[in-house]
Amino acid sequence: MADVARWSTRVNLPGLATMGAFVAAWEGLVGTGAVDFEFLPAPSGIADALWSLVWSGEIFPELFHTLRSAVVGWMIASVLGIALGAWLGLSDTAWRYSMASIEVLRAIPPISLVPVALLVFGFSLKMELTLIVYVGAWTVLVNTVDGVRSVRPELLDVTRMLRMSRLTTIQKVSLPAAMPSIVVGLRLALSLALVLAVVAEMIGNPSGLGNALVRAQQALQPEQMFAYVVTIGMLGVALNAALRLASARAFPGLGAGTDPS
Amino acid sequence: MTVTIPASVPADSSGVGDVRPPPVRRAGRRAGARRSAFPPLRGLLPLVALLGVWELRASADSPYFPPPSTWIEGLGDLWGNGTLLPAALQTLSTFAIALAVATVLGTLLGLVVGASRTADRALGPTLEFARAMPPAAVVPVATLLLGYDVTMKVAVVTFAAVWSILLNTRSGVRAIDPVLLDTARCLRLKPFDRSRKCVFPALLPSIFLGVRVAAPVALVITLLVEIVTRVDGIGALIASAQRNYLAGQVYGLILLAGLFSFVVNGVVSALQVFAFRNRPSY
Repeated sequence: MADVARWSTRVNLPGLATMGAFVAAWEGLVGTGAVDFEFLPAPSGIADALWSLVWSGEIFPELFHTLRSAVVGWMIASVLGIALGAWLGLSDTAWRYSMASIEVLRAIPPISLVPVALLVFGFSLKMELTLIVYVGAWTVLVNTVDGVRSVRPELLDVTRMLRMSRLTTIQKVSLPAAMPSIVVGLRLALSLALVLAVVAEMIGNPSGLGNALVRAQQALQPEQMFAYVVTIGMLGVALNAALRLASARAFPGLGAGTDPS
Repeated sequence: MTVTIPASVPADSSGVGDVRPPPVRRAGRRAGARRSAFPPLRGLLPLVALLGVWELRASADSPYFPPPSTWIEGLGDLWGNGTLLPAALQTLSTFAIALAVATVLGTLLGLVVGASRTADRALGPTLEFARAMPPAAVVPVATLLLGYDVTMKVAVVTFAAVWSILLNTRSGVRAIDPVLLDTARCLRLKPFDRSRKCVFPALLPSIFLGVRVAAPVALVITLLVEIVTRVDGIGALIASAQRNYLAGQVYGLILLAGLFSFVVNGVVSALQVFAFRNRPSY
């Protein structure tokens, strides 16, 4: 009984009802011809297309390809970003002699690097991964540096008073104190990774959901195209939720630090 | 009523009349810290060294990594045949219109969602799903529905930029000091005056924070749309230069895009300083 009560507050019925009403209104408007865009399919058509894509198994290789590149690229970017970021955050000299360069490089809009990646690597998985790693690593790095550098000075005084070694200080104070900021960076990087995977597939790498999306568009199959769009959206929600869950598990005290903004 | 300043206050504390503690809202503090802590300029040394080595070591006709001097030549070529300026203007105007629309839309939606818990719960999942949608995936949909034109570009960029403004406005509305609203009620302000004199000024910092986050996103998405759809603009030029293997032009245009993002950030910061010139705490 208690479980049921908890679920009903967690499931957010009014929210689902609004979503349902939205879809129903869409269906009604398109179905009755009240709204007539040439290429706007009704939700039922999209659901049909999605169902047949799933049933024929056509969607899974594309889905796995996008998921794998996004996650693998994000992991490499995280490791690089945290390691470099911790170094720059801890060493004042390193920070002083490189941070301005990093700010400048980071200002270059990541999307504009897609053509360069295409130029250098051609149409390949390597190009997709390089792009994801490059862009994601900046995000994680900058957030790690911010986090490590904004550790409260009193905490560092305590480590000095306790005569902690440098390694212990990093391990027990600097990194845990920087964790909220790092987690924010990781979340941003993960959503960026998905965006870049899709973009790279749309214009470069001939596989994955992004490519399937463009193919459906060019074949003038709006139902299929919307089905892929919905899949990408759900993938985004799922990745975000998974990371939120994992960070809540790993760092129970974090709470506010994972607030999106 | 005048505030008498105790003699013991050191002369150099300029904000003596201001006895409130500094604002501790996470958002405001973060924006402030970012602005004051631009790292020292000698940090540019590695970048300069890298570019120098690049210039000296790379051959001028390298198809992948052309030296920086060819980047400038590439830009000069584009300027010479008259394509650079119109493209830059198209990119910037798309960006500006979309950001303006996103600001208005995000503020209005944020007000609704922030003021009413019911509305928040009802709209929450829909907004969450739309926010998680990568903007790139929206591009083909927008082109099918709206065609290859400026309206489509503005629509996609607005869609991508609206979220941070919406979320920040929402948390701003939640954090409005109830005393402020009580004061408005005591003074019997009309609804219009109440929003103009109490609510809007209280929300402005949150809205600005949202715009600060949204501005770079909007620029990136503008370029993205142009690269993917090849509808005129800097992004379209980058894409066509890449197709024709004009590496120098590609790098030059990317340099230009980076410059845009610097200028955009500068303009938003300047606007913020201007808007809050009478409020020392922001």
